[in-house]
Amino acid sequence: MRSLVLSRLAQLVLVLLAVTFLAFSAMNVLGDPLFNIVGPLAELDCDAVSRGEIASTSSSLDATRTDCEIVAEAKAEFRLDEPLMKRYVLWLTDSARGDFGTSFASEGVPVSDILKEKFPASIKLMIYAEVIALGLAIPLGVYGAYRANRRPDRILSVVSFGALAIPNFALGVVLLYVFGLKAGIFPSSYDSSSFRTELTSLFLPALTLGSGLAAGYQRLLRTDLVTTLQEDFVHMARAKGMTDRHIMFRHALRPSLFSVITVFGIQTGALIGGALVVEQIYLIPGVGRELVTAVVRDDFPVVLAGVTIIATAFVVINFAVDLLYGWLDPRVRAKS
Amino acid sequence: MTFTLEQGEMLGIVGESGSGKSVTAKALMNLLPRTAEIDGRVRFDGEDVRALAAAGSRHFWGVRMTMVFQDPMTSLNPVKKCGEQIAETLRYHLGHGRVAAMKAATDLLEQVGVPEPGRRVNQYPHQLSGGLRQRVVIAMALACEPDLLIADEPTTAVDVTVQKRILDLLDSLRKERGMSMILITHDLGVARGRCDDVAVMYAGRIVERSSTETLFDRSRHPYTDALVRSIPRIEQPSHARLDPIPGRPPELIDPPVQCAFAPRCRYAQADCLESVPPTEGVGESHEFACHHPANTPRGREALANNVAAGVTAAGLQISYRKTR
Repeated sequence: MRSLVLSRLAQLVLVLLAVTFLAFSAMNVLGDPLFNIVGPLAELDCDAVSRGEIASTSSSLDATRTDCEIVAEAKAEFRLDEPLMKRYVLWLTDSARGDFGTSFASEGVPVSDILKEKFPASIKLMIYAEVIALGLAIPLGVYGAYRANRRPDRILSVVSFGALAIPNFALGVVLLYVFGLKAGIFPSSYDSSSFRTELTSLFLPALTLGSGLAAGYQRLLRTDLVTTLQEDFVHMARAKGMTDRHIMFRHALRPSLFSVITVFGIQTGALIGGALVVEQIYLIPGVGRELVTAVVRDDFPVVLAGVTIIATAFVVINFAVDLLYGWLDPRVRAKS
Repeated sequence: MTFTLEQGEMLGIVGESGSGKSVTAKALMNLLPRTAEIDGRVRFDGEDVRALAAAGSRHFWGVRMTMVFQDPMTSLNPVKKCGEQIAETLRYHLGHGRVAAMKAATDLLEQVGVPEPGRRVNQYPHQLSGGLRQRVVIAMALACEPDLLIADEPTTAVDVTVQKRILDLLDSLRKERGMSMILITHDLGVARGRCDDVAVMYAGRIVERSSTETLFDRSRHPYTDALVRSIPRIEQPSHARLDPIPGRPPELIDPPVQCAFAPRCRYAQADCLESVPPTEGVGESHEFACHHPANTPRGREALANNVAAGVTAAGLQISYRKTR
């Protein structure tokens, strides 16, 4: 157990280093941070100006000097004169202390404040989506396995494949139009004023995000359950006179959850991507929307911080999944 | 097939793989898949078992009639503690509370000879050896003191020394509790040593059934006779050739109307290929289904004819063999 935790921590550190370094260097090589901070002033050749060689075409030399001071100030603040590696290391040490720097776009606003403001809505949306997905998939997976290859199972199978095939943006728009705008059953915009309003206003987005997940989980659980139900210990339980319900929930379900939780962990990444789309459709002020905006504006500190947190979440969730394996099956526990 | 089993008796069902032994057991236990076509009748202490199944009887299987499966490695749920698996039967059928059921489970493990039962109840199946697991399975089956225990090859998957101990245990439990048992096995030695009656199955039918002694000493069906002859005997010189049965069991999908054993039978005559032999002596102490039973004048005549011709009516080449 301790070695598992330690190896996971090492893995977390490695993943974070790789992900952040890639993101950091890509953004610095593909874009020009200075331009994103000071705009066209970045084009100014300040070395020449300081030598008094170039006079600005539109303004005086003094004004140009002031422009150069602004550029120098920006360079100093964001350490743009340092080599890439050093800047990366500096960024790393700062962010390890929780200081992700300040946003380029909204001047002087600490990135951590922006994220603190945006993350809760996204996290709520994702948890809600998973709750809906598992809440639908577990009973329906059990029911499908119980009626395997008979009509209810076939219908569920068709519905699942349908749900898997519909892209989030299409389903999101349809649900919003039908239940939000036309029928008016659910509010069409995000309302975080109370738990209740949040629950109702996030229902359609969470359903959009969760339906594909639910369909995937349902298929996996149903198939694994059908296999488990052919095991000897299930026959044994039946020979002991246990009811179908007891056998299903007390004997077969737990050993059949492996695929579902494995995919649960891996899908975390896809879920974040899906949340991004859904947040756009339902106008939820979440981190997905914030990140898209930041990427478009090359707002490096915000993008880097977002990527770091998402990568951390991914590794941590998959670590939790590993712990779940042990909880599900004592034989796994014995090995680790 | 027809058979009866008295209280406290042990019936052996023997036969090759695929002869229908396990299907018989599963039919008795109501474990056949929903798609199975079932006809016939099972009466248990005067009650019609299939009517009980149709009525959704909750406390019959597992209480009055239970079963032990072949492989103790797979017949325990790997994710539940042994104690819980025994206790759940007691909680469901007898309404025991959690604590009482666990206490009873510990006692049961002690009765089936599991050392340190108090520790074992809290262990998972993978932490136990095969022999111990089979004891746990037996304890599970015995929890509600059944009247009939069906043991489907209970010792096939454990090694020989454990085999003997498990069989001894089943024997003593049966005697202590006056429990009836059906022992399904392909080990004729086990059947001979443990059972009161033995039924021999071939291609889904009981071809011969009688008391153990009669069956082994005065076999009537050529299949039984051949099985008995194929048992290696200790008095034979070492490396003596065994006496196998030629051929393989028939496909049971759409079988021809004939004696199913005829193609492999050294006694086969023309009439064996024309009709399925009826079972003689049903309800009596010795029943068998054969036109030319072994160790009878008719059988001896048939065998002599075939040996003289060098081939049976079904086309099986035979050579003269010294008979015992």
